[in-house]
Amino acid sequence: MNLSSFWSLIPLIDEVGFIHPSQFVTLNKEATSSLKHEDANFWSRDHKLAISTDVLLPLYNAAKDAFMHAISQYKRHGNLSDASGYASNLESEAMKHSKALLLLSCDFGTAWNFRKLIVSKKQKIMLFLDELLLSALVLSYSPKSEKSWCHRRWVIKMIAGKCSTLQDIAGKESELVEKIAERSKMNYRAWNHRCWLVSYMTTEQVLHELKKSRNWAGLHVADNSCFHYRTRLMLRIMEEHCHKLEDGTSDENNEIYQIWQEELDWIEALIKRYVGREALWLHRRFLSLSWIRHFTTTLGDTSNYRAYNDFEDFQAQAMYSATYILWLTKQISDSQGIELPEKPNLGSLETMLNMACPERSFLWDILTRITGKCDEVLKENNC
Amino acid sequence: MNGAYWGLTTLDLLGKLDALDSNEVIQWIMKCQHESGGFAGNIGHDPHLLYTLSAVQVLALFDKLNVLDADKVANYISGLQNEDGSFSGDEWGEVDSRFSYLAICCLSILHRLDKMNVEKAVNYIASCKNVDGGFGCTPGGESHAGQIFCCVGALAITGSLHHVDKDLLGWWLCERQVKSGGLNGRPEKLPDVCYSWWVLSSLIMIDRVHWINKDKLVKFILNCQDTENGGISDRPEDAVDVFHTYFGVAGLSLLEYPGLKAIDPAHALPVDVVNRIFFQK
Repeated sequence: MNLSSFWSLIPLIDEVGFIHPSQFVTLNKEATSSLKHEDANFWSRDHKLAISTDVLLPLYNAAKDAFMHAISQYKRHGNLSDASGYASNLESEAMKHSKALLLLSCDFGTAWNFRKLIVSKKQKIMLFLDELLLSALVLSYSPKSEKSWCHRRWVIKMIAGKCSTLQDIAGKESELVEKIAERSKMNYRAWNHRCWLVSYMTTEQVLHELKKSRNWAGLHVADNSCFHYRTRLMLRIMEEHCHKLEDGTSDENNEIYQIWQEELDWIEALIKRYVGREALWLHRRFLSLSWIRHFTTTLGDTSNYRAYNDFEDFQAQAMYSATYILWLTKQISDSQGIELPEKPNLGSLETMLNMACPERSFLWDILTRITGKCDEVLKENNC
Repeated sequence: MNGAYWGLTTLDLLGKLDALDSNEVIQWIMKCQHESGGFAGNIGHDPHLLYTLSAVQVLALFDKLNVLDADKVANYISGLQNEDGSFSGDEWGEVDSRFSYLAICCLSILHRLDKMNVEKAVNYIASCKNVDGGFGCTPGGESHAGQIFCCVGALAITGSLHHVDKDLLGWWLCERQVKSGGLNGRPEKLPDVCYSWWVLSSLIMIDRVHWINKDKLVKFILNCQDTENGGISDRPEDAVDVFHTYFGVAGLSLLEYPGLKAIDPAHALPVDVVNRIFFQK
């Protein structure tokens, strides 16, 4: 397999994909522009590269052999400091091959590691930023590639403290995740990266992210990862708030109270609009639990406790709403000794669950019993 | 290397480990060892905790741990522990609670847990716990059944399960069972055979396995087998692979399916192998 036509295309592209040979016909019909690359196995236009699935395996084998050969050469001679540029030639060869290989095999750890080694030797911000571009290119064809996401975190950790634009980078990273999450649903790796970024964000950025991700979440109500991201942001806000209360730099709950109130109203509206969505109910569990933990004791106000009794016809909605109340009852009794203003009737909840989902009656029995047990403990403690 | 572990452990659970030439496998494994003591995924690649545990597990299957310089491997692993108790996967510093499990499980098999700071490692894992009772990759990361297995497994091996809220985590885990009987790894996801291992082993370790319908799960796994060529896929009618075949067979073993050896839910090795490691000197 001849790699040279592949290499000649790489510097120009910002997106890569693998397609079936039959799709080339369609692409070539559409492509009237002269930018079209004339090769039966590749197609390139507007910085996009398509590779025929027919050629993937031989191309990968050739790229892998070339890379493995290049790094063994580099390891043998690359550390020599010679004026002829022999060592730097070996280095750039190996870098070129590692890039070609990663465009075919996204999780080839040894190739990513080699790039880390070379870039960390040079310590130039531009080279670090180039690695973010390469990782984005790999993610364009493999959005779940763990090693590509990991490479980004390595770059960010390396330039943190050296680079004045770190906050801009955190913002751009967050945008990249959103763009990728749009094409690749429920992508744990992508959202995990976004959660990781939160610790690099300023308070203003966190608030901005919370505002910005709301629209997206409202349009992707089954994507639990996005709701978890909001949980992460809200917990960070809560953490900072608690620090301020402790330091005495703030003594009011208004701002945080409002954030929680808005989120609870919003999630309730979504639950009514999108019936039977698990992710929405789980987010509500989190919101209600932290609401009760933080605001019922500090504000003495339980009027906003939202027990959802508005059972829908749909089985899933009925099941989620009943387990929501059970879960909340158990958690509150367990941890805080706070009593719910309106005691749920465990017997009628169990009946409701058995009607909604009779095949799991053994589980409803267990869950009602452990919730009831917590309730007993609470009563004893209060006596 | 991971493929070797999945394939060979499956064979052992089926009582067919002798189907392969053990010497050939062991020679290959030892060629994957790096001078640092860690193992790579294949010859000529870089070492990582992911492959180091698999290599040690495969040697344990063949009762060949004696070919290892256990102290050298243990030094590689303990050298990856960070100040906060977490573990990096390799020298490049990515941190993940999975890597804590890999390190703890591997050092436990090598009888070298004393080479690391167990208390700090346990505290780091506990810091990855979420409000829903599950665990994520790092503190604040989303709960995921695979991560939960790693964290619960590591806590079980170090005798630290008191960090787990068993009812709360059991609640989250049993909600992974969907109508077809299969388990998913996160809310709103499709069921997948691999979670038959991750969810189920976690439920067993926290003593809540009776919270799911075991018969329906057995049926789901069996429906994922390609009866013509033998392997198991992620979902019925999909293409089979060695990864899902292992997790399907391991899940069936946890469900006490007839004809399979029992598997240890924390070390992910057949119980007879684990007994040999810990009770035979």
